[in-house]
Amino acid sequence: MEDGKANKTIGGMPDTVFELVIDFLHDERDRDAVSLVCRRWYEIDKTTRKHVTIALCYTTTPQSLWRRFQHLESLKLKGKPRAAMFNLIPEDWGGYVSPWVEEIARSFSCLNALHFRRMIVTDLDLELLAQSRGQVLQILKLDKCSGFSTDGLLHIGRSCKKLKTLFLEESSIIEKGGEWLHELALNNNVLETLNFYMTYLAKVRFQDLELIARNCRSLVSMKISECELLDLVGFFGTASVLEEFGGGSIGEQPERYSSESYCSLSFPPKLCSLGLTYMGRNEMPIVFPFASLLRRLDLLYAFLDMEDHCLLIHRCPNLEVLETRNVIGDRGLEVLAQCCKRLRRLRIERGEDEEGMEDEEGLVSHRGLIALAQGCLELEYIAVYVTDITNASLQYIGTYLKNLCDFRLVLLDRQETIADLPLDNGVRVLLQGCYKLKRFAFYLRQGALTDVGLSYVGQYSLNVRWMLLGSVGESDAGLLALSKGCPRLQKLEMRACCFSERALAIAALQLPSLRYLWVQGYRASETASDLLAMARPFWNIELIPARRVVSPNANGQDVIVDHPAHILAYYSLAGQRTDFPNTVLPLDAVALLNT
Amino acid sequence: MSRSAVELDFFRMEKESAGKPQPPKKLFDRRRSFRDIQSVISKMNPEILKSVIATGSVENGNLLASKPKNDDPFLSPALPLLSAPAFGNRVSGTSPLTIFYEGTVSVFDVSRNKAENILKLAAENVSKTVDSDLPLTRGKSLERFLQKRKER
Repeated sequence: MEDGKANKTIGGMPDTVFELVIDFLHDERDRDAVSLVCRRWYEIDKTTRKHVTIALCYTTTPQSLWRRFQHLESLKLKGKPRAAMFNLIPEDWGGYVSPWVEEIARSFSCLNALHFRRMIVTDLDLELLAQSRGQVLQILKLDKCSGFSTDGLLHIGRSCKKLKTLFLEESSIIEKGGEWLHELALNNNVLETLNFYMTYLAKVRFQDLELIARNCRSLVSMKISECELLDLVGFFGTASVLEEFGGGSIGEQPERYSSESYCSLSFPPKLCSLGLTYMGRNEMPIVFPFASLLRRLDLLYAFLDMEDHCLLIHRCPNLEVLETRNVIGDRGLEVLAQCCKRLRRLRIERGEDEEGMEDEEGLVSHRGLIALAQGCLELEYIAVYVTDITNASLQYIGTYLKNLCDFRLVLLDRQETIADLPLDNGVRVLLQGCYKLKRFAFYLRQGALTDVGLSYVGQYSLNVRWMLLGSVGESDAGLLALSKGCPRLQKLEMRACCFSERALAIAALQLPSLRYLWVQGYRASETASDLLAMARPFWNIELIPARRVVSPNANGQDVIVDHPAHILAYYSLAGQRTDFPNTVLPLDAVALLNT
Repeated sequence: MSRSAVELDFFRMEKESAGKPQPPKKLFDRRRSFRDIQSVISKMNPEILKSVIATGSVENGNLLASKPKNDDPFLSPALPLLSAPAFGNRVSGTSPLTIFYEGTVSVFDVSRNKAENILKLAAENVSKTVDSDLPLTRGKSLERFLQKRKER
């Protein structure tokens, strides 16, 4: 079978043919399957694989990656747990890019696209990257990263002349000046996507944005931090092929503010994706002339009430992606269902809880979901915070939304009594109906999903790979029932549940595809010893023991915040990591402490 | 003013803390509702509560509980110091129940009977993670936006 000569022409087909065929396989799981067929195909995949995503950077080492994929062109790495996006993880938890950047600088000569997500990046890393790969780097994404400053970006701006995409969205960047953008503007004329949305960089000069628009004739997408929109007249006039714009700021300088001045703004003709920060009712009409062209709309950071949403959405029949807060209300969802038949992705975030701050009617419930299910049949992604929910609404979703791949529901605690609990039957019909579902989040409250409901989740989530469960179940029995199902579940996150360490350990052992587990809020034992039941080779277990952290509350006052313990467990071929801070405790150490 | 106080000193915190720097007591919370009391008590380790209440009794004077076997300082959370006047204010019927817990001070106005009942209830309480312990948190950008909106 492994005879070298015979393999060259198995069935009359030389390796070259396989190499050409394999090039058509892009899906990582297909590539994975191919590489397991035989050694020869493993070798072919090895030399031809273009992209690798490492879902957790600690599961392997840069050297291992190099040994296998020397011709890699594109790499995506993720570090901190998702909970970091909600301020639940210590800043210095880990996820350092340095070892990876060092190896990239040394070895990966074909690499031209890099995506770091929730990782710690330093200026030194950026300098090394710019020096070693600056000539060839086309895509650089520092996605929700931290640890670097605009000095690091200076190196990128100066050296990466072929950069087509620079993505910095939501990264925490120490701002020392605005020269990085100027350098980028001077040295680059191929930029297509520039994104520093939600980075709060204040020293950005609109003149540099104009310069970029002038030099980069292929500029298609620009998302920026808060820069007065009126200053961007020149930019919009020059960026003639721009399709996407996000950010800016409306009304920051009251002395220049008058809604008329915004009405004189004219946008590029191909603009079909828009999000204007602090846009209010008075400025909304500036969007009307091209609203019918809009395919993506970001209202997360706008000052619109429910009525405004209805007025605007009504004019956007081609909308495919909408992001907004729950101020859209059930009525807004009804308008969406009537008007936006092409809607694929809908994200509704939690707005202000405080009374009087937001539109009183701006709440989303089962009523809106039922309308949505019947009206927007193309939906693939729904993320929604609701104040009320029924089984029927979940059943509607299961019945109508057959293209749904990603469903996330959070039940807010604003309303004390939810009439139609538990949601066992609703979630069953949803999971049975939405057979394409790969990602599922269900964050409820005590009593909203029984142990039987959890068993349904286990039984009917056949394709789900990622799950976030919050405040579900009644006892360990529920978790154990869940873990008998979920055949494809790779990543499980749980919060505010009542499960014991013992049940968590058994569940981790039972779930056949599980490779990553994160839990916060569970019945801890004195010594975490029950968790050791899931100890096994290649399975790293880390604890973040309960902490008290001083942080500012909603009023800006310093308060002490309780952070209950976390468990993080994952498969790794790299052994226990050594770069953990003192807030993180690998379980081996705990075991040692107690002997 | 002499007041008989029942002090349940879990793990001799007073003695120990004498040598250590105290964390700043930034939170002073005067609450009245039963739900609030229950939420504070639910944060305490019920095993510890049970053992202390079992070995001691609510009477005049101080009550010192013995240290548990496993007192790994890293893993055992700091525990509350419970103080309730044995004979409360007879005129109004209620007196303050003070709970010192890891740098916070919570004061509840309850009758003596209620105070005893609360302690008994806490002992019986199954250790379920109360939802209020783990509030929903927002994404950073959204939080910042909502903050900014208040200022505008």
